[in-house]
Amino acid sequence: MPTIPRLLRLSGTEAYNHTPDKNFLMIGERTNVAGSPRFRKLIQQGKLEDALEVARQQVENGANVIDICFDDGLIDGKAMMARFLDLIQAEPDIQAVPIMVDSSKWEIIEEGLKHLQGKGIVNSISLKEGEDAFRKNAAHVLNYGAAVVVMAFDEQGQAATYDDKCRICKRAYDILVNEVGFPPEDIIFDPNILTVATGIEEHNNYALDFINATKWIKENLPFAKVSGGVSNISFSFRGNNAVREAMHSAFLYHATQAGMDMGIVNAGMLEVYDEIPKNLLTAVEDVLLNKDDGATERLLDLAEEFKGQGAKKLTEDLTWREATVEKRLEHALLKGIDKFIVEDTTEALEKYEKPLTVIEGPLMDGMGIVGDLFGAGKMFLPQVVKSARVMKKSVAYLEPFMEKEREIRIIKLAKELQTEQSDLSDEDARREAEKANSNGKVIMATVKGDVHDIGKNIVGVVLTCNGFDVVDMGVMVPCDKILDAVEEHNADVIGLSGLITPSLDEMITVAKEAEKRGFGKRSIPILIGGATTSAAHTAIKISEHYSGPLVHVLDASRSVPVTTSLLSKENRQEFIDAIAEKYEKLRTSHATGPKKETISLDKARENAPAINWDDYNPPVPEFTGTRVIKSQSLRELANYIDWTPFFHTWELRGVWDEEKKELKTRNAEGAKVAKQLYEDAQVLLEKIITEKKFTANGIYGFFPAHRDGDDIVLPDHDTTFHTLRQQQKKGSGKANFALSDYVGQQNDHLGGFVIGIHGADEWAASLREAHDVDDAIMVQALADRLAEAFAELLHHRARISWGIERSGQFTKTELIHEKYQGIRPAPGYPSQPDHTEKPALFKLLNAEEEINVELTESCAMHPGSAVCGLYFSHPESHYFMISDLQKDQIEDYAKRKGITLDEAEKWLGPWLGY
Amino acid sequence: MPADLSSELKSALAQRILVLDGAMGTTIRGYELTEPDARGDRFKENHEDLLNNGDILSLTRPDVIADIHKRFYEAGSDICETNTFSGTVLAQSEFFVPDPRKTGGIKNPEFFDKEVIANQMLQDLVWELNVESVKLAKQEADKISNATGRRRYVAGAIGPLTVSLTNVVDPDDTAFRAVTFDQVKDTYAHQIEALLSADCDILMVETIFDALNAKAALVAIKESGTKAPVIISAAVGRGGETMISAQKVEALWNTFAHVDPLAIGLNCSLGPDLMEPFLNDLSKVASSHISCYPNAGLPNPLAPTGFDLLPEHMADYASDFCEKGYLNLIGGCCGNTPEHIAAIAKAVEGKTPRAIPTLS
Repeated sequence: MPTIPRLLRLSGTEAYNHTPDKNFLMIGERTNVAGSPRFRKLIQQGKLEDALEVARQQVENGANVIDICFDDGLIDGKAMMARFLDLIQAEPDIQAVPIMVDSSKWEIIEEGLKHLQGKGIVNSISLKEGEDAFRKNAAHVLNYGAAVVVMAFDEQGQAATYDDKCRICKRAYDILVNEVGFPPEDIIFDPNILTVATGIEEHNNYALDFINATKWIKENLPFAKVSGGVSNISFSFRGNNAVREAMHSAFLYHATQAGMDMGIVNAGMLEVYDEIPKNLLTAVEDVLLNKDDGATERLLDLAEEFKGQGAKKLTEDLTWREATVEKRLEHALLKGIDKFIVEDTTEALEKYEKPLTVIEGPLMDGMGIVGDLFGAGKMFLPQVVKSARVMKKSVAYLEPFMEKEREIRIIKLAKELQTEQSDLSDEDARREAEKANSNGKVIMATVKGDVHDIGKNIVGVVLTCNGFDVVDMGVMVPCDKILDAVEEHNADVIGLSGLITPSLDEMITVAKEAEKRGFGKRSIPILIGGATTSAAHTAIKISEHYSGPLVHVLDASRSVPVTTSLLSKENRQEFIDAIAEKYEKLRTSHATGPKKETISLDKARENAPAINWDDYNPPVPEFTGTRVIKSQSLRELANYIDWTPFFHTWELRGVWDEEKKELKTRNAEGAKVAKQLYEDAQVLLEKIITEKKFTANGIYGFFPAHRDGDDIVLPDHDTTFHTLRQQQKKGSGKANFALSDYVGQQNDHLGGFVIGIHGADEWAASLREAHDVDDAIMVQALADRLAEAFAELLHHRARISWGIERSGQFTKTELIHEKYQGIRPAPGYPSQPDHTEKPALFKLLNAEEEINVELTESCAMHPGSAVCGLYFSHPESHYFMISDLQKDQIEDYAKRKGITLDEAEKWLGPWLGY
Repeated sequence: MPADLSSELKSALAQRILVLDGAMGTTIRGYELTEPDARGDRFKENHEDLLNNGDILSLTRPDVIADIHKRFYEAGSDICETNTFSGTVLAQSEFFVPDPRKTGGIKNPEFFDKEVIANQMLQDLVWELNVESVKLAKQEADKISNATGRRRYVAGAIGPLTVSLTNVVDPDDTAFRAVTFDQVKDTYAHQIEALLSADCDILMVETIFDALNAKAALVAIKESGTKAPVIISAAVGRGGETMISAQKVEALWNTFAHVDPLAIGLNCSLGPDLMEPFLNDLSKVASSHISCYPNAGLPNPLAPTGFDLLPEHMADYASDFCEKGYLNLIGGCCGNTPEHIAAIAKAVEGKTPRAIPTLS
C-alpha cells in the first residue's frame, strides 16, 4: 500500500508542503498593520499599489507564507481584506504563496477566506469565548479548507506558564480532532511568545516556558505544529535593533530545536546565529534561558554598546537593471514589474526617437515573448494580464508624445487636403484629417448563441491597455448588431469570439454578412478567436466568405501584434499577404491531408450552389469565336508581373513591395539577396525585351455554352467540358461546387485561352550547356513570370470584352489580389484537377496551329512557360478545391468522358478519396 | 440517499476502474437539433436563442437527453453526469436575462442581485431543470442496472460559470469582480439542493477553470451537510494550471484535500497526451481516487466531432494510463461520443486500479 506523508500542505497558485527538510516556515509580517507602521500608513492613505509592493518584497525575500492583517481602528478591516486579497489575485508572484488571514474578528477572517483560491492559514481562533464558539469557527475554517492557528487562550485568558500552555493546547486539540474532525496536521498552536527582560521577575521564564511547551506539544499532540510571533520576545529592547536581532535569532535557534515549525518573522530583523558577537550571544541566551537572576541586568548593560547598529536593509535583486534598455523592457513585461517602466520607456524613446517605434519595436518584442511563453504553457493568464498592464503604463507615457506627433500630422494633412480641394473649410479639413488619423477602433463580440466571454474580456483588457479603442458588445450578439456597430462606430477591426463548436458556423455567417455589406471590399479586418477556433478552420472554412483580411488570433497575447500590424500603414499589406500565404498553405495541406467525411455524388449534386438564374442575364461578349495575339509587347507584360512568386524559385519567402522595391521578410539577409536578384532580373528582362529574346503568343475566345449536369456543352463546336464536383461533407449552408455550376442553361457563354512564351526553353538549354546554370534558372523564372503576366493581361482584356469590367477599374495590386469578377481555372489545377480536359480546349482554340503551343502525351504544355484555362463570367464564380472524390463520381465521370474507369482513376489518383 | 453509497463506490473502485460518460455537447450536436427544438412551446418567445443552452434540452427535448444517457450507459459507463453543466441561475441568466452591456450597463454584483438572483422565474426554472435532469439520468441508470445486474450511478454535474472570482476584468481596478463569493456560493447551493432533492448519487464539481469559483461550490456542498460522494475535476492548460485562476494541480489538491473527495482529477481543455504529465503529478500527491476524462484531443473544427481523436485512439491512451497506475475512473470530455466511451470501457476492463495511498 503506497503512503503519502501527513504534512501541513498549503497553497497559493503553487503548492507549499511543509516537509521535514523545510526546517522553518517563515511567515512574512510586513503586511500586518499591527506590526508594520509603514504598511499601516500606506493602507490608510489608500496607496494600495505600494502596499502590494510590500507583499511582493516579502515573497522575494523568502517568506513562505505572508500574514495579512488590517486590525486597526481607522481601517474598514473587512472591506480592505476583500480588496487587498482581490488585488493580490492580479499579482502572479504574490499569489503563488499561501496567505495567512490574520484578524481578531471572525467576520474579517471569513471575508478573507472568501477571497483565497488556495489553502491558507487562519490566524487565529481560540477558546477565549468558550467551546461552542471555538467549535463553530473551527468547523467554518474546515469548510473553506484552511489550516488554523490556535492561540493558547481560554475563558480565563492567555496562557503564560508552561502548565497552562500545555493544558489549553491539549484541550483545543482534542476538540478539533475528535469533535470537529479537523486534520491534526493543519492545527498550528501559538503558545504565546511573551516579552522577556521586562524587569518583572515572573516574566523571566517566558521564553523557556514557550520552548518547553513547544517540546511538549510536539511530543504529545501528534502532527500539530507550533508557531509564534517572534518579535514579541524582544519588545523591551525597542530601538536597539542589534540586540533585538540577536534575541530573535537565538530564540529561534532554541525554539526550533524544541520543534517550533514556523513563526511570524521580519526577515530583515534577523541576525545569522553564528554571526552574533560572542559576548552578546552569551548575554542574550542567559536571558532567554533564564540562567540566573542577573541575566537581564547584564544584557541591559551590554545593550548600550550595540545601540544604533543592526537593521540590515533588505535589497531587491536589481541586477537586471544593468542590461540594455530593450532587455530591461522585456524583463519588466515578462515579470510584470512596473516600477521602472517609465524610466526605461523614456530611455527607449531617446534611443528610438519615435514613440510608435518603441511600441512596435522593443515593447511588441517583449509581448511577443509573453505570447510564446503563454502558448507553451510557461506563463499563465494572470501573468499575461499583468504584462499587459505594464505595457499600458509604458504606452500611457508615450501617448502625449504620440499625441503631439499626431497633432503635427493632422495639421499637415489638413493643409494638404486644402491644397487638393480648395473649397474645404478649415474645420472640415481638420475633421477629415482626424478621421484619416484616428486610433484603431475595435468592435468585439461573442457571437450569437454563445455566452462565453472570459477570453474575449481578456483580449479587451489587453487591447485597451495598448491604446486601442475597444467597443465590447457582450455575449450572444446577433450578426446584424455586430455589423451595425461596425458602421455606427466606423470601426477599424471586428473581433469575433466564441468557445463552443456551433459558434464556428455563426462566425461564417458574420463573415458572409460582413461581405454583403461591403466590409470586405473596404478591407475591414475580422479577427477570429476562441477555444475551438483554429487557423486551419479560419483558412479553410471562413476566409472563402470574406474578401477582406481575416485573421485567426491564437490567444489574448497575440491580439496586440495582430491588431497593430493590421492598423499600421507601413506593415499592413505585408502582414495581410503573409497571412494569405500561410492560409493558402493550410488549405493545400488540408486538401491533401487525411481522409474527410464524404457524401455520395447524388447528395453532392443536391447540394450544388443555389444560384438564382431566373433573375440573371448572362453578359454577352463582344465577339464569339477566337482572337489571336501574336508577339504581344513584352514591355507591357513586364508591367503585369507579380514578383512575389519569382523569389520563391530561390526559396526566398516574403512579399514583394512593388513601391519600395524590396522583399518584406523577417530575414534581413534574404531581403538583401532578393534586392540583388531583382536588380539582376531587371537587367536580364531589359535584354529580353530589347533583343526580343522571347515571343509571347496567345489566343482566346468565347463560345455559346450551356450547363448539362456537371458538364458544359458548347453545341456549336461539338465540344464538351467535363467538371468534377466536391464530395466532402459540408456544414449547413455550404455547397458542393463544380465548375459547371457557373454556366447557365441558356444564353450563356464560356471562354477559353492558351498563351505561351517561346524562346525561353532553348535559351535556357544553351545556357546550361555553357554551365551558366544561374542564368538558366533566371531565364526560366522570368519566362514563367511573363507567362503568368500574359494570362493575367489576357483575362483582363477578356473581362472587358465580356462587359464585366471597365478598363482601368482596378489597380495592379487589386488585380494581383483578384478583386475582379470571374475566374480562369486551368485544367490540372484545384478546381478541375484533370489534365485530360486540356486537349478539348486546345482543339477548340486550335492553339497548336495558331500560336504553336503544343500538348505532350501527358498533357504537359510546350513551351514550358505556358498557361491555359477556361473563362467563367458569373459573379459568384470562385476557385475551390476538389479532393476526396468517390468512386460513384469517377464511374460517372469516366462514362461521360468516354474513357475507362482505370484511365479516370489513373489521371485523378491524387484526388481520389477511396 | 443510501448511507453506504460512499463505501459501495469505494469497494467497487478498489476492484476495478469505473467508467464515466462522454461529452454531452458533442453528442447532442449529433442529433442536429434546431432552435425550435431547443425552445419547444415553452420558450417560444424567449428573447435569446436557446440552441446552445444544452441544459434546457432536459425540459424541451427530454427524449434526446434520455437517449444520450442510455447510449452512454450501454457503452459501458458506470457513472453518467446529469445534463446540468450550466444549471445555476448565474449560468442560465445568460440565456434569460438581457446582457446589461448591450445597453451600456455593466455586469456587477448589483446587477446579479437585482436581475438574476431575485428573478423567481429563473430560480424556479433552474430548480426544475436540475430535478428533471437527475430524473432523466436515474431512469436510464435504473433500467440498465436492472437489465445487466450491475449498478449504475448518476453524478450531478456542477459546472463552471461565465463569471470568475479571480480574473481581472477592469485593468483600472484590478480588485473589481462582477460577482461576489457569496453570490456564487448561494447559486451553487441552490443547484446542489435541487440535485440532491431528486436523489442524485454523486456530486461532481467539474471543469474547474477557476479554483475560487470551485471553492464556493465545495463550501456550499460542505454547508449543505450532505454525505453524498464528491468528485472534483479541473480543466488545466498546457502548463498544468487551472485555465483562469492559474493554480497548479498539486496546489489544487492541497486546496481541496479537506473535502475528502471520492476522487479528484482532470477533464476537458486538453487531450490525453497533453494531460498526462499533470495527471501523473496529481496521482503522486492525492490521497483520494483519481479520475480523468480528457477531450478527444485538441479542438479541430474540421473534424466531424470537432476534435481530433477517434475511439481507438482514446482506448489506447486509456489503457496506457491504467497500466501506468494513474487511474480509478476514466471517461471522456468534449469530442467523446458513445463510441469513444465503448472503446475506453473495453480498454480498461480488467485493468488494475490505482491503489489509494494512505496518509501516515
